[in-house]
Amino acid sequence: MLPQLLVSGVANGMLYALIALSMTLVYRATTVLNFGHGDMAMAGAYAGLVFLGFGLPFVVAVPLALLLLFVLGFLVQRFLLRRIMQGPHLALATMALAVGYALRGVARLRWGNQVLNLPRPYPAGAFSIGSVVITTDAVVMCGSVLVLLGVLLLLFRASPLGRTIRAVFQTERGAALVGINVPLLHGMMWGAGAALGAAGGILLAMVVPLTPDMGEWVLVRGFAAMTLGGFGSLPGAVVGGVLLGVAEEVLGFYLNTVFINITAYVVTILVLMVRPRGLFGRRALIRV
Amino acid sequence: MAEVQTVSRRVFWLVPLALLPLPLLLNPYQLFVAELVLMYVPVGVGFNVVVGNLGLFAFSNVAYFGIGAYVSGILMARFGLPWWLSVLPAGLAGALAGLITSIPALRGVRLFYLAIMTLAFGELMRWVYIRWEPLTGGSMGMSVPEPTLFGWPLDGARKFYVLLALAVAVVTTTDRLLASRFGRAFMAIRGNEIAAAAMGIPTGRFIVAGFAWGGFVVSIGGTMYAALIGHLSPDSFNLTELVLEFAIIMVGGLGSLLGSVLGAALLTTLPQFFMSLPGSEELAFGLLIILVILFLPRGLASLLAQLHPIFQDRYLRE
Repeated sequence: MLPQLLVSGVANGMLYALIALSMTLVYRATTVLNFGHGDMAMAGAYAGLVFLGFGLPFVVAVPLALLLLFVLGFLVQRFLLRRIMQGPHLALATMALAVGYALRGVARLRWGNQVLNLPRPYPAGAFSIGSVVITTDAVVMCGSVLVLLGVLLLLFRASPLGRTIRAVFQTERGAALVGINVPLLHGMMWGAGAALGAAGGILLAMVVPLTPDMGEWVLVRGFAAMTLGGFGSLPGAVVGGVLLGVAEEVLGFYLNTVFINITAYVVTILVLMVRPRGLFGRRALIRV
Repeated sequence: MAEVQTVSRRVFWLVPLALLPLPLLLNPYQLFVAELVLMYVPVGVGFNVVVGNLGLFAFSNVAYFGIGAYVSGILMARFGLPWWLSVLPAGLAGALAGLITSIPALRGVRLFYLAIMTLAFGELMRWVYIRWEPLTGGSMGMSVPEPTLFGWPLDGARKFYVLLALAVAVVTTTDRLLASRFGRAFMAIRGNEIAAAAMGIPTGRFIVAGFAWGGFVVSIGGTMYAALIGHLSPDSFNLTELVLEFAIIMVGGLGSLLGSVLGAALLTTLPQFFMSLPGSEELAFGLLIILVILFLPRGLASLLAQLHPIFQDRYLRE
């Protein structure tokens, strides 16, 4: 049974990894934790649904949805967060939360509480290797996330843009001094975070029902994966996500099915109590 | 100067007095909404003590609220206690939950870390209600018997007055607490925790006290929920409820007792106008919070403070 659990756990975990990674990008670039991130993923899935509804093929509809969310994330940073960047942390986090809440309201106004699904662009099915059943959903999930991770890694490590981003991650003032437009980059990172989150939302909405409340589920798992991997660490977000996915399946099978739902909470609490910096994070310094 | 202040603040007693004729003036539905407002007063006040006055990002408020409601409901439905006898035990259970959630804060967990962790605690409690079926009725929820007070059924005007008395008691005791050395220590911790500790304030003890008081007060709100709604279900204590409670203190004014009351009044009555259109309430709340953060960062209380010095908050200084 264990190999089967590992396979489905890794497939879910890749999705968590994508979400945690997109939250970490925003967090690292702007030190704001996006409490509305789950709702942005939800909005991305609905945007995909709308574009598909126009009769567009999947390969056009999805990039359009991601683009829309990029613009949304950029605008949120530009017109809402930038004005209060110097303010208290609580105001920033609350602003992100409020944006997400408003998005949820918009989705519910338009679609109510009906349960929708994004149609898969591939046949749903499964094949088996030995005793392990692998669904095409799992293959597509892992494949898409791996491709996205690869693209991100290339961008980050081997492009001028990536160098700029890394400079901002290191020190904002230094980056600004050598001529990098830091506020613009902040906006871009919010856009990128929202678009990546939307990719996660779209992948999720193909396998589970799409409702306006999807965001909560996404947010909680993103937080747990980030915490487990170490807050602010990009590789940590990926590893944390995969480990979380596996832990949910394994604990859910061997201990109690409730663990499929509560592992994220338990992991968050335990990690912060026992080892607040997670697996790969750095110890947080408090400036007096 | 100080003498004038204490005398003039007694004016606030006119507010509950002015509310006394409400049961005669309102229809049953409007009275119910007024009672909801009274319920959210302690919920907001307790939340604000921790987030606003202590300045710690603890979002376990909905857990205290749910614990208060469930302890009250279980004592009534499973142990046959009358409602009024369940108030104190429920409050103490909430205070205990406050103590437990203060442990991470004592261990130095702060900012977003504390926010996520306390959020996780609140959600975990929801799964406790779902899974502890023999006591809580599981995800279907449980019915709570009609509340009674000294053998009298608690209905109509009587219920309103009891809830009003509880809300007033919570506000006045919290006002005394914030005016005491506790309140001053909270202010110091909020301003700069390390400086507060360096000045000899035992910050840990005051943090525990703040959390315990917050949990106690919010749980009182939970018992009012049990008396008012009559049915408890785990879904009533989810993250959406938490956002509502957070909006109350954010819109009312962080760290302001008056703000908690104003926020409770506004954000409880407002959704009544949005009931018919699902989603409009969330959209309105989201936009309202955005506007408040951008243009009124100290909340509605700061608007009143500009009108007359009596509304100025004594415990909140930036």
